[in-house]
Amino acid sequence: MENCDVTIVGGGSAGLAALKHLSSLGKQAILLEAGKEIGSKNVSGGILYSKKSNNGKIYNVEDIYGESFLNESPYERLITKYILNATSKDKIFSIDLTESHDYQTNFGVSVLLNKLNSWFAQEAQIEAEKLGGGIITGVHVRSLRWDEKSSKIIVETDELEEFETKVMIAADGVNSEIAEMTNAREKFSPSELYQGVKVLVKLPEKIIEERFNITNSDEGAAYLFAGDVSLNLIGGGFLYTNRDSLSIGGVYHYDSLLEHPIEPTEIVNAMLRNPLISELIKDDVPLKEIDKTLPKEEQVRKSFAITKLLNNWNELRQLYYSHKLKKKSIEDRKYTSEDEIKSKLDNLTQKLTNEYHTKFMTNYIELEYTTKLVPDGKRGRMKKPYYKNILFIGDAAGRGLFIGPRIEGLNVGIDDAARASIAIARSLDKNNFESNYLGDFYSQSIEQSPYTVDMKEIDKQYLGVILNSTRKKISPDALGFKHKLVFNLISNQGLRNFFISLINKYGYTRLLSFIESEDVYYKIPIKIADKLGTVKSSTYIPQIPTVQDRVAKLCYHEDTISHIKILNSGKNFLKKMVTLCPTKCYSLEGNDVVLQHEGCIECGTCSKETEWRHPRGEKGVLFKYG
Amino acid sequence: MTLNIAVIVKLEPDFSEGSVSYNPDGTLNRAETKSRLGAHSAIASLAAFYTKVKYGGYISICSMGPPMAEIALQEAQSISDADELHLYSDRLFASADTLATAEVLKQGIKKMNTGKEMDIVFSGHRASDGETGQTGPQTAWKLGFTFLGNVIDFSVDLNNRYIFAKRLVALPGFYDIVEEIQAPLPVFIAIDPSYKPTFDTISLRLTSGRYLKEAKERAVNYKSYLNVLDHKKLELDPRLVGLPGSPTIVHKVEKIPKARTTRSAELIEGDDRQGIINSVTKILQLIQK
Ligand SMILES: Cc1cc2nc3c(=O)[nH]c(=O)nc-3n(C[C@H](O)[C@H](O)[C@H](O)COP(=O)(O)OP(=O)(O)OC[C@H]3O[C@@H](n4cnc5c(N)ncnc54)[C@H](O)[C@@H]3O)c2cc1C
Ligand code: SF4
Repeated sequence: MENCDVTIVGGGSAGLAALKHLSSLGKQAILLEAGKEIGSKNVSGGILYSKKSNNGKIYNVEDIYGESFLNESPYERLITKYILNATSKDKIFSIDLTESHDYQTNFGVSVLLNKLNSWFAQEAQIEAEKLGGGIITGVHVRSLRWDEKSSKIIVETDELEEFETKVMIAADGVNSEIAEMTNAREKFSPSELYQGVKVLVKLPEKIIEERFNITNSDEGAAYLFAGDVSLNLIGGGFLYTNRDSLSIGGVYHYDSLLEHPIEPTEIVNAMLRNPLISELIKDDVPLKEIDKTLPKEEQVRKSFAITKLLNNWNELRQLYYSHKLKKKSIEDRKYTSEDEIKSKLDNLTQKLTNEYHTKFMTNYIELEYTTKLVPDGKRGRMKKPYYKNILFIGDAAGRGLFIGPRIEGLNVGIDDAARASIAIARSLDKNNFESNYLGDFYSQSIEQSPYTVDMKEIDKQYLGVILNSTRKKISPDALGFKHKLVFNLISNQGLRNFFISLINKYGYTRLLSFIESEDVYYKIPIKIADKLGTVKSSTYIPQIPTVQDRVAKLCYHEDTISHIKILNSGKNFLKKMVTLCPTKCYSLEGNDVVLQHEGCIECGTCSKETEWRHPRGEKGVLFKYG
Repeated sequence: MTLNIAVIVKLEPDFSEGSVSYNPDGTLNRAETKSRLGAHSAIASLAAFYTKVKYGGYISICSMGPPMAEIALQEAQSISDADELHLYSDRLFASADTLATAEVLKQGIKKMNTGKEMDIVFSGHRASDGETGQTGPQTAWKLGFTFLGNVIDFSVDLNNRYIFAKRLVALPGFYDIVEEIQAPLPVFIAIDPSYKPTFDTISLRLTSGRYLKEAKERAVNYKSYLNVLDHKKLELDPRLVGLPGSPTIVHKVEKIPKARTTRSAELIEGDDRQGIINSVTKILQLIQK
């Protein structure tokens, strides 16, 4: 049987950071990823943060991948504007939260995970290879057992011969099968989870900069949304600017969704229909129409010709609106000047309009639809994130950090990865993988992480910064009697500190249901927008695709065998999945719920009461952007 | 100990839609049709890659053809991570039949890897553009190597210098047989189109990943791996190559006319309800018939 020192299961941002860091520490490790390519299974909002803290060391992305991360990695935009928008119908009230965003932050960059994780993988592979390790994709870990004598883990996969490993890092995400097969933790309960939904909208680079008042082309904005866009659910929306696309979606408490099931697409649709957002995403969208009265062969010929012209039009338009591409094409002498590109683009537009009767309408273009569960670290993080010689990191360990406007999982997983790598390197040096040497050391290190502290306690200073930003724009009178009282109380620094000390002592988690309440998420924002907001109007009605259209755009490598098994088709939980599955894989037949696994995007929403596994290696959905 | 591996590949017309072009009389328009590495040659390259990953080895790839055939070598290198590319190109080689071609290939193979003897020579099952499947066996005979055709799987015993191979023997109209063979090295293997390598251990996966990356990098600089050899460099007797070396007398060439399309496609837009109903009705009627 083959063997290796360290096996990392899962090639998301957490697992990849572990591979890179272990290799930097001179330890050989292999990483197994079920997806056909790295990045094809990972989803985020997403902003990747680098943070600092008074509570201790944080291992940031630049600690793992080098100080030149910002110069070399394919991130989208450096976020320099952070706005919270309260919504009520067509009224919007915006509060600038950039100061709270910058609180203890080195930087925050918008990212698309497929691209970013591929870059992480490339960097990690170079180091791992030198030590005889590396990344193996298309391999799904199916089960584990322990050699009684050596305590090594024997790993069984769907694709490879079984092999032995001294130690393992489980970085297999929120729906961790390693956690389930070892019973290291229970499946997360609905109150410990959020459902994240996102659509990626295409928009040319320069238009993004104009609409969001961005002056430096590498910078970008992030908007958060609370109020009626959340459809009376506990959660909120986000809109992040990428280089030439916008990430739009929401993150919602899963128990709130189970209580009032609503189709996940409706959550993003509510965002897209908000007049502020519809105006931000609008674009000229060509409508390919073919005269049906023409002979069939002529129709086909025309259709081919229009498709070709439209492809050229799209390419040229992307070039025209992109700083880098435009500059390069002129440097490469493909075009002599910006004017030439413009006139070629105009000619193409005219040709399409006049010769092929193509209409250009105001609408928006979606590139990808994604959904995934995210663990809430405040409630669900593993208190002891290990089992025997397996260490859990990232989403697999339940370590998402969601506090007010803070939505962080990527950076937390990277911090975990560094801590796990250090613990393992120490164990390898001493050849001691006992729980009291490896697991406990890692567990202590995780407890000391400033992120864990943030999951356990309210940070007085941070709350103060948020309240300051809010106070600048909102008079407490706008809040109504009850909320005005609370607001005034916590605005007083002395009282605030007293209350927070009390809360932190009493147990922050016990009070979470009061803090993360309907009032905070939508009642107060609606009230504020109603009273103080300005009316926004939309100049068009966005034509929103159906779920079927959205699914049809995704790429799949279908497995004939279903990776999900229904345990009891008559159960109430499954009936809710008919609504809550983002791709409508569940339907009702009489009183029974049936599942059609084709089309599943592996979000995990149905995993609580099903036998749920990831598809076999290379199978299932392949996200192009993530 | 590692293996010396040779692969014979061929540039072929790309018959895929959008690449192929026909003359008005239905014959292939070679000038207009794009060319690329033949599908069977690609499988042979893959078998060589597997051998290199599993046992270690030095891969030399050769092709006889016009100068543009180097693109087939480049593609084969990107699949196999070849260490050396040979192109046998000479006007004298024109109009060669299978025997004359085999003569050139034999001589080339003897010159591979600074003249070391090859352990395994791979070729495709056959070419798609009117070859008769005889070049392989004839080259093997000229080299004095055991010929194994239709190989679907193989393993090598490096110490005892044996190969174990599985051959797919199809008995048309009856059934297929998988024949297991043991043969001493060197051998000439014509790989079956159904061959699929499996990299099913961690070390095979890691090594294949590393070699594949190397292969892509090498293929970008393929010219620095390329040796173009004419009949002089190959030390070939001009009487044994090209037309003079071809004993085959072509009795008659059957033109393969471009097949008339027997299907007629009807285009229905997704929103054309009546159109969809009509075609479903038509299909149902046909099934009932
Ligand atoms: C809509 C949304 C918005 C978000 N916004 C943000 C944000 O703005 N900022 C932020 O920091 N975080 C955000 N997050 C959270 C963040 O995306 C996650 O915390 C992070 O991606 C988790 O990374 P991970 O490596 O732990 O897990 P994953 O990325 O889920 O990786 C797990 C990997 O393991 C593989 N795998 C699973 N099982 C097996 C197996 N048995 N064998 C082999 N491989 C296996 C999977 O294929 C997958 O690639 C957001 C999440 C969502 C859904
Ligand atoms: S079947 Fe389950 S995991 Fe798949 S998309 Fe639907 S809810 Fe998500």
